[in-house]
Amino acid sequence: MKINSYRDWYWHILLLFAVVIQLWPLLFMLSTSFKTMDQIFLSTLNPLPAKPVIDNYLYVLKNLPLIQYIVNTLLIASSITLAKIITSILAGFAFVYYDFSHKEKLFNTLLLTFFIPITVVMMPNYLFISKLGLLNTPWGVILPQLADGMGIFLMRQSMRNIPKPLLEAGRLENASPWVILTRIILPLIKPSVIAMGIVFFINSWNDYFWPLLILHDKPTYTLPLALQMFISAEGGSEWGIAMAVAMLTALPPLLLYLTCQRFIMNTFMQSGVKG
Amino acid sequence: MNRFTWQSALFLAPATITLLLFAYWPLLQDVWLSFHSWNMVSPTMKFVGLQNYLQLLSSDELIKILLNTVLYILVLVCVNFILPYLLSFIIAHRLNRFSFFYRSALFIPSTVSLAVASILFLWILNPLAGPLNIILSAIGLESPRWFKESGLVIIIIGLIIGWKVFGYNLILLAAAMVDVPKELIEAARLENVSNWQLFRRIIVPMTSSTALYVFVITVVFGLQYVLVPVNMLTQGGPDQGSTNLVYIVYQYGFVFFQTGKASAFAILTMLIYALFLIVKTKVLDKKVHYEN
Repeated sequence: MKINSYRDWYWHILLLFAVVIQLWPLLFMLSTSFKTMDQIFLSTLNPLPAKPVIDNYLYVLKNLPLIQYIVNTLLIASSITLAKIITSILAGFAFVYYDFSHKEKLFNTLLLTFFIPITVVMMPNYLFISKLGLLNTPWGVILPQLADGMGIFLMRQSMRNIPKPLLEAGRLENASPWVILTRIILPLIKPSVIAMGIVFFINSWNDYFWPLLILHDKPTYTLPLALQMFISAEGGSEWGIAMAVAMLTALPPLLLYLTCQRFIMNTFMQSGVKG
Repeated sequence: MNRFTWQSALFLAPATITLLLFAYWPLLQDVWLSFHSWNMVSPTMKFVGLQNYLQLLSSDELIKILLNTVLYILVLVCVNFILPYLLSFIIAHRLNRFSFFYRSALFIPSTVSLAVASILFLWILNPLAGPLNIILSAIGLESPRWFKESGLVIIIIGLIIGWKVFGYNLILLAAAMVDVPKELIEAARLENVSNWQLFRRIIVPMTSSTALYVFVITVVFGLQYVLVPVNMLTQGGPDQGSTNLVYIVYQYGFVFFQTGKASAFAILTMLIYALFLIVKTKVLDKKVHYEN
């Protein structure tokens, strides 16, 4: 279908306006992080600092246990991602491959956890984690997040799309369920597993609230928690440094998205995340 | 189909045990806690029956909390549901070119942590030296103290969340838009149907189940996202002006150490969520049957 090109220019103006609103704050964060204190307050709006400096980043590296924060965040985010992928695949497989009574009920029960708000579970879970002696450890953050209702839903969805004859073939040859899952199913659903994993990773990397409750000692902080230190009662004035830490926190998810975006978008478009 | 065996139980166990232990069990514990008076550390817990609930329902705070929550949700529904719904239609069906570019560019903020978004907008909205203030004073306006005015503060927090979530919802809706047959839209165009009519009569009915899903996650997750900017930027202030149904649970639980009242608010939130999901399911069963 062709839409007359001369008629769609005003849509482009509208959409470009939206793009500016969405992207300008991030560009502003980037440029502030390369400015000196003088430039920040004298040429605030200038997106390209006359002399970009990396002083803010050097300061952060020297004065904060930044590497420690990155390692903490990475450890927590990858463990949660890996665990969620494994538990979701296993459960999704059980729902597709086996038949048992109350199957739908169990599935809906697990999926519904997706909608239970963190405020409802945070106090009992906090008390439980503290009873286990896991406060101030990454394991206290990881433990309640080993499974994911939406992950089970997505895995069941992609496994359902596999043609039945393929599974039947495996069954006729008397292959064990484990072999069918790892040799036949997994290679076929690899794209959705990776896309799901990227989403899990970005979400856990960015997570702020649950780690805030569990991690109190500064050396155990994740990057989003470290940002809190730059907010003083007065609103702070070390904006260059704060923006440098914010950049470092935002960069990994951003790069992950930019390198895999076609892939993520396509999976989104095809799998159709529908309620 | 294979019958249920110990084997299938093994496949189900890791996810099921985790979710029962860390999602449903806490729910029950909340009910238990909400009938008791406790401060999280004392060895004894006092049974007080419905007292926590009665105090909650009769407190002056409740009106303020509910009003803030409603105001916040209204902002989110506009920015994260209505706006992306309209824009995803334009991107999918009104453009010849660049639709992939718009989708990808608009999605970018949703990869950013809410902690990053909070500190970033704290600087952008700084009433003394922040860039927005400079722009406003250039056109002769005075910047309000965004985070210090009751009523304004919760709208601003809604807009910060809105900025982050907008692109994600846009993508979900755009995925549904692509499924609407091009022939239908072409036919409508030949009959000179206006864009608005096209959107209302064809697009909305054909994308309603995804739209309903996006509406639900806008409200359900939007309410939880509010924790981050409120805790980082206002701690519920000024004068509880930015507190809400979700943040109040954190305040009572982890700031005032009144687990009973905190749990009572948590149960209230859960009831509202449950009601919301039941209504959604009912609507889904009755009205939405065009898609698929």
